[in-house]
Amino acid sequence: MKAYLSAFRMRLRMETQYRGAVVGGVICQVFFGLVLVALYRALYAGKPQSMPIETVTTYVWLQQAFFRMMLASDSELLDKIRTGAIAYDLCRPVQMYGYYYARIMAQKLVGSLMRAAPMLLFAALLPRGWGISVPDSMPAFALAVISLLGGLLCVCSLENITMGFTMRTLDSRGMQALLNLLMMTFSGNILPLTLFPDSWQRVITRLPYAQILDAPIRLYTGERAVAQAPGVFITQFVWTAALIALGLLLWRQNQKRLIVQGG
Amino acid sequence: MPYIEVQDLQKHFIVRKKREKGRLLREKTRIQALQGVSFTVEKGELVGYIGPNGAGKSTTVKILSGILTPDGGEARVGGMVPWKERRQHVRRIGVVFGQRSQLWWDVPLLDSYSLLKDIYRVPDEAYRRRLADLTDALDLGDLLRTPLRLLSLGQRMRAELCGSLLHGPELLFLDEPTIGLDAVSKLALRDFLRRENEQNGTTILLTTHDMEDIAALCPRVMVLGHGKKLYDGALPELLSRYDTRRVITVRYGEGEELPPLPPGCAVEREGENMKITYEQKDLPTAELIARLQSAGPIRELTVQPQNVDHLIAAMYREMNL
Repeated sequence: MKAYLSAFRMRLRMETQYRGAVVGGVICQVFFGLVLVALYRALYAGKPQSMPIETVTTYVWLQQAFFRMMLASDSELLDKIRTGAIAYDLCRPVQMYGYYYARIMAQKLVGSLMRAAPMLLFAALLPRGWGISVPDSMPAFALAVISLLGGLLCVCSLENITMGFTMRTLDSRGMQALLNLLMMTFSGNILPLTLFPDSWQRVITRLPYAQILDAPIRLYTGERAVAQAPGVFITQFVWTAALIALGLLLWRQNQKRLIVQGG
Repeated sequence: MPYIEVQDLQKHFIVRKKREKGRLLREKTRIQALQGVSFTVEKGELVGYIGPNGAGKSTTVKILSGILTPDGGEARVGGMVPWKERRQHVRRIGVVFGQRSQLWWDVPLLDSYSLLKDIYRVPDEAYRRRLADLTDALDLGDLLRTPLRLLSLGQRMRAELCGSLLHGPELLFLDEPTIGLDAVSKLALRDFLRRENEQNGTTILLTTHDMEDIAALCPRVMVLGHGKKLYDGALPELLSRYDTRRVITVRYGEGEELPPLPPGCAVEREGENMKITYEQKDLPTAELIARLQSAGPIRELTVQPQNVDHLIAAMYREMNL
């Protein structure tokens, strides 16, 4: 266990070293947040939707603040696979899947927290209908935080599957472009899932992508009542378990047919 | 029972080539990296593993370190099958891949080492002692707090070696550890490896293209070519088979000329010096020198053996590699 914790800590330390990237990322995400909020305000000015505008802007800011949890793969890990430096990791007495899981989790957790803190502060200072609203209730907030952790576990298992595929195809770009499209669309980053037609939502909200940020945000805004929280947790848990099982299987297969690149 | 036992090891790779014009699918080629390699190594041996690029050296190392699974054959290291009991097996081995890095680029060495400590579950006390020994022997003391990216190539290789030995492995694989190092670093590294082998009884398998590494370190050498083992024994014996030529450089006083020489001697003039290359078995060195002396007073004369790299090149040529 210590090895995995240590790998987690190490990646965490590394992530905190790139402060310039954090500043850049925050500026970029703030820009996108403002553009999206302006867009939805224009849309509402023409044709108001059933959901209040405050909820939509809250949704947008939370999505932007934790953007780093979804996109942004560990480029160093992908490089390792591409160049064959992964050979070193393969001759360690650790379970490879868990070792990489810890690494990925550290990157996503620290990377997004470091960006989320200043961004949420910024969004909280914006006027009502532009920025982020307070949570629906204290219990709702607590449940949203727990569910965010559930989302983190879910997205890390998704990412580990991408890594597993990268080991086969070596070039992650094609696979990632496809997965990113799915991720951006079905996580609610491009268009809040709450604005999709109801019939669509019934399916989309059950996909793993919706478990990452959409589920916690809905708990935060009160769109999912506190009483519905157990259902949210169960969905998150089932997906995480299934994706981890799939990832483990993929990694085990990979280890059998591995070729180390670059001699 | 020998420490490492390898029987008829086989491994192939599929390499995809660029698609040719007019063909729909890319052509796949099967490359037989190892075609039945067998050998044994005793505990505490220091064995050199040489062969031209693509001979299968690294593949062997990767199989024995549990990274790759072979297609066929058997291998046991200290009673364990590396690819089947991977996690228990790799706990006792150390690996250095000369062209790759196991340390973290942006963080100080000490942090990379403490991660390795946790991975191998090295107890605190043992870690402290081992790290002190290694930093001393590898002259790393001042560098421990420096991030890897600020180190020179030679410093980095020493740091890598330290990382691979922190957990006190009983078996060490070195895949071209002296690649790109300057003369001082090479000599220091060789000294260190010899000591590690003698004092801690670490079994070492060294692959390299640097014949001086082998000559300086390895009492035993294995030659691999086209995925087959071609030689297994002492280096001098191997070389003596190909080491048949000598070069004599001779300089006479004013006006003296070379005596007539038997056929088979090649003469090259470099200013006043004359370089004579000859086959030792056709013309014993003593006889040639006697002849040269008969032509007049010699000012200077040197006899040189052939360069080791030339010998290895000759050997590869003869073995059709």
